[in-house]
Amino acid sequence: MRHKKKQNRMHRPKTMAQEADRHELYQKAVQSPDADVEFFTERFEQLRNRPALRLREDFCGTALLATTWVKSDPERTAVGVDLDGATLGWGRQRNIEPFQEELGERLELIEGDVREADAAPADITCAMNFSYCVFTTRDALRSYFEAARRGLRSDGIFIAELYGGTEAIDILEEERELDDFTYVWDQERYNPLDHSTTCHIHFDFDDGSRIEKAFTYEWRLWTIPELRELLLEAGFADVRVFWEEVEADEDDDEDDEDAMMSGTGEYVEVTELDENQESWLVYLVALA
Amino acid sequence: MAAADAGTFRARMSRAESTLRRTMASQADRHALYEQAVQDPERDVRFFSRVYRRLRGRDALRLREDFCGTAALCHAWAQSMPERTAVGIDLCQETMDWGTRRWIEPAGEEVASRIALVHGDVREARGPKADLACGLNFSYNCFKTRAELREYFEAARAGLDKDGLFFIDLLGGMESMIEGVTDNDQGDFIYRWEQARFNARTHELLCYIHFVFPDGSEIRRAYTYDWRLWTAPELRGLLLEAGFSKVHFYWEKTDREGDGTGVFYEPSFVENQEIWWTYMAAEA
Repeated sequence: MRHKKKQNRMHRPKTMAQEADRHELYQKAVQSPDADVEFFTERFEQLRNRPALRLREDFCGTALLATTWVKSDPERTAVGVDLDGATLGWGRQRNIEPFQEELGERLELIEGDVREADAAPADITCAMNFSYCVFTTRDALRSYFEAARRGLRSDGIFIAELYGGTEAIDILEEERELDDFTYVWDQERYNPLDHSTTCHIHFDFDDGSRIEKAFTYEWRLWTIPELRELLLEAGFADVRVFWEEVEADEDDDEDDEDAMMSGTGEYVEVTELDENQESWLVYLVALA
Repeated sequence: MAAADAGTFRARMSRAESTLRRTMASQADRHALYEQAVQDPERDVRFFSRVYRRLRGRDALRLREDFCGTAALCHAWAQSMPERTAVGIDLCQETMDWGTRRWIEPAGEEVASRIALVHGDVREARGPKADLACGLNFSYNCFKTRAELREYFEAARAGLDKDGLFFIDLLGGMESMIEGVTDNDQGDFIYRWEQARFNARTHELLCYIHFVFPDGSEIRRAYTYDWRLWTAPELRGLLLEAGFSKVHFYWEKTDREGDGTGVFYEPSFVENQEIWWTYMAAEA
């Protein structure tokens, strides 16, 4: 009897969650590699008066950004570094092999620790999606920043992404609907005593199924001044801060204080980030 | 011409009015209002004494109050036990003079002889080593770089006995990092806390205390604070770098209504709140 039941269950059609691929959903929901490449290209030109050719993507995951970088210019090369061999394998299969001819030998993936991986020096090294927040002590984070600096050319730049604002230090769940699924950002825990935070990404589907905790992060949520201090201690010469300009959503009344603000994709340098917003995203750009 | 005349007329009127009836603001004393609205020195003395006794197994006798202002805490400390002595340090002589007139002289020679007020920088002051030192009302936030704040913490430790304790209070929560105004009704006046500017890039926070009176008069910007709002893990890290051996966080227990009970415990995790303030203690 038992055996039979099990078989029946196996023949049941799969839910949308079961058929979905979490890496693919992540790339769609979270990443915007074209915008990143554009931002990196413009920043480097502006700061260094020459084109950036080589990118190092730390915590690269599926290496979507590194791949996009290499595709953007035939002279460009990239290296991606990540601890997770399975995720790198997914990226190799899905992001790299289909474009093998175009990419040639210009893209290298290293399975290893971002603090130790050895690769040819880069013009730009980036740490996106807040991944460096896995380093929870000043010493650990400084040693990562030192390694990032060692891995750069003499006029290289290091770019790290950070989120913050009053909602970043609260418990909350935020949904964003995409074409065929809903992305859920879940800040489950935040401890103001040590700034540790536990966050999850869930994916919800139209048939009611869900990929619960598709990704889980145990981070220390660093602040801008803390990162700036550590980057300077790690030997960087200067740190600039850029943040995304926001505008009120078209549907909302602009005079309404509660109007939802959306990012415009345009980044401006900030010296005074007056008036903390509920939620903001910045790039810290450190000059070697 | 007409506008100028109107202006002159208004000026003359307000001068005339002021001779007839002085506003409540003009008769108030900002230090007295501050003490009433912000400070609770007896509570601080009780809390510090209890923690010291628990950690050290004896009574703390000698207190150093950094950024002492009117030295209300020094006074409460000296009053709490006849063996206790206190030294207060502040950059502002005028405020300490006010405190001397308000607290120390009226307390009588016996108590006054156990309190010393020093005009100087908290990073430089010297004197006999204290059992207990404190930097309250978030005043250390005037040090905006790690090097400056570490230097202050090192000085605080250097001024402590080998088993001394150093207390600070800290401010945090979601609303500590936004601009806004909070009113607190004190009965005969309103204590108004204004966070005029917060810079997320530097964590610089510009704040004012205003006092507002029932007759509509105000003491605007009675106090101005140009701070870096240091966070709990930063303070903990800097205290350890400055040589303190152990850092404790205390958190006030709340009752069913969410009001403070005056009882503190040591949590390793708390849920963030809109606004909170609490104590840290560092062991020399």
